[in-house]
Amino acid sequence: MVYTKKNPALFIIGVIMLAIWFMADAGMLSGYIEHLGGKKYKYTKELLSIPLYFGVVAAVMGLWQWFGSHKEGNFDYYTSTLAGAMFILLIAMLVRWFIAPEVAVVSKMMGKVGDTGKYLHKILGLNYVVMGILTGIIIVNFFKVPEWAKNGVRVSRLGLKTGVILLGTLYSAAELKNLGGLSIFMIGFFVLGSVGMTLWLGARRGIPNSMGGVLSAGMGVCGVSATVASAPVVQAKSVEIAYTIGTILLWGVGCMFVFPMVGQMLDMSYLKFGAWAGTGILNSAQVAGAALAYQPDGIETLKVAEIFNITRVLVLPIIVMWLAVWYVKREQTGTKVSVGQVIVEKFPMFVIGFLLLFALSTTGMFAPANHYKGKYFNNTTDFKSKNLLSDSKKAALQAEMGKIQRADRKAAVERLIANGKIMSIEDDDQIRGLVNAKIMSKDNNKILKKAHKAVRHASAKIKAFRNWITWLFAFGLVGLGMQITVASMKQAGGQPAVIGGIVGFTKAVLSLIVVMLVVKDTI
Amino acid sequence: MSENNFDRGSALSIFGSDRKEDFMALAIALVIAFAVYFAY
Repeated sequence: MVYTKKNPALFIIGVIMLAIWFMADAGMLSGYIEHLGGKKYKYTKELLSIPLYFGVVAAVMGLWQWFGSHKEGNFDYYTSTLAGAMFILLIAMLVRWFIAPEVAVVSKMMGKVGDTGKYLHKILGLNYVVMGILTGIIIVNFFKVPEWAKNGVRVSRLGLKTGVILLGTLYSAAELKNLGGLSIFMIGFFVLGSVGMTLWLGARRGIPNSMGGVLSAGMGVCGVSATVASAPVVQAKSVEIAYTIGTILLWGVGCMFVFPMVGQMLDMSYLKFGAWAGTGILNSAQVAGAALAYQPDGIETLKVAEIFNITRVLVLPIIVMWLAVWYVKREQTGTKVSVGQVIVEKFPMFVIGFLLLFALSTTGMFAPANHYKGKYFNNTTDFKSKNLLSDSKKAALQAEMGKIQRADRKAAVERLIANGKIMSIEDDDQIRGLVNAKIMSKDNNKILKKAHKAVRHASAKIKAFRNWITWLFAFGLVGLGMQITVASMKQAGGQPAVIGGIVGFTKAVLSLIVVMLVVKDTI
Repeated sequence: MSENNFDRGSALSIFGSDRKEDFMALAIALVIAFAVYFAY
């Protein structure tokens, strides 16, 4: 059987990509980019490279597919996926570069939501990842996936698996030693507890093992990464992944508003609230939103919540291992299998890849262990001199020193003025608190934010890995969306939301009790 | 040669087995990882 379809689709996709590149390169998109955020628009560099490279490949291969002769065989089989893969990639490009930023513009026009300090699209998690899935769902349900693209949709899972393996580069066991014992204890207890409870409830309520497995990772760890990482381990269907992400995001939106209210009612300290939000809320952006809603004029709550949040993410490799063994053992009916046998015969190799890169990352191969903390505080040799504060900026800050009441914040700014850069992680916290408090003028707040960014930024390697992972996930999730039909959603029913609600509520209440009993009030 | 000789994989994957897909993902990821390691 010859799989390659002799039609112009792939060639046309290539031409569209090249047209995007040409318009961006010739400045024809500059007006629209201005509308999407101007200098804050992050994708200008990508627009000038990615559509060019992929456009050339798609156009050349498209011509060959259209006019060439094709013979049955492996080469034909694998290259026949190109048209569909490029179709998905084009949609991912349009969503990432234009649709998601447009939604952000509209959301910003509507203003920030209450005291959260966040815009609606941030709260609802409407980024290009979620919108990519939604676009895929719309295409398959309203327009149908074209015949020539069907084979390509089947490579989306390969993209997700590759992304998950690379995800290992972003974690490091060395980070663990920077975290407090309390956060490790609380997160360990509640993550493992939530995963266990979801699996137990799932079995009792009769949902498939694949649904229970993926939901448990989502409810226990957090957000899209955990869901995507565990999905192939438990062979989750597309609709189950989408349900899990939807449940997490909706639950988080509710928590973001309820948590600060409960915190105010109980008069919780910043430390207690930060610990509770970091444990009980699932999505990173929503944790930050709740912490800022609770303490809009400082950084203390956010800082504590961030520590708990990072701890939770670091548990992901353990959860992936657990689910891999759990799933294979559950699916093996009748015969008793040992864990060793499971690993040799059935253990997903991409998890080994994930753990391999996690181990390499722990050695510091890709980034120094403390890179999240910022390696530039005391290091003057690596610090770029162009990032030092100019005399005019120092004078602008000096002119508003009288506005700062707190002595610790005042001292941090004085040190910043004296050295031209932030000198310690403690000073950085003070300055972030000062920015949040909006005491200084807008211009001076910009200077402070820039000074913060100059000392705390990810290494170039980590940035490159994040970009790769982002594109692989975007590609995989658009393709995944294209496999979700309305009929399959009806079949899955409302059980995931019910189980998610029970587990989320139990975790929120229990973690509140533990925080109130165990956590001391001082920072 | 039969009509279905190359009709492999499933609705979710073009590969004949999960292991094959995993190895392919691992190979691609390692290529990317080392490219990033040496390029940056």
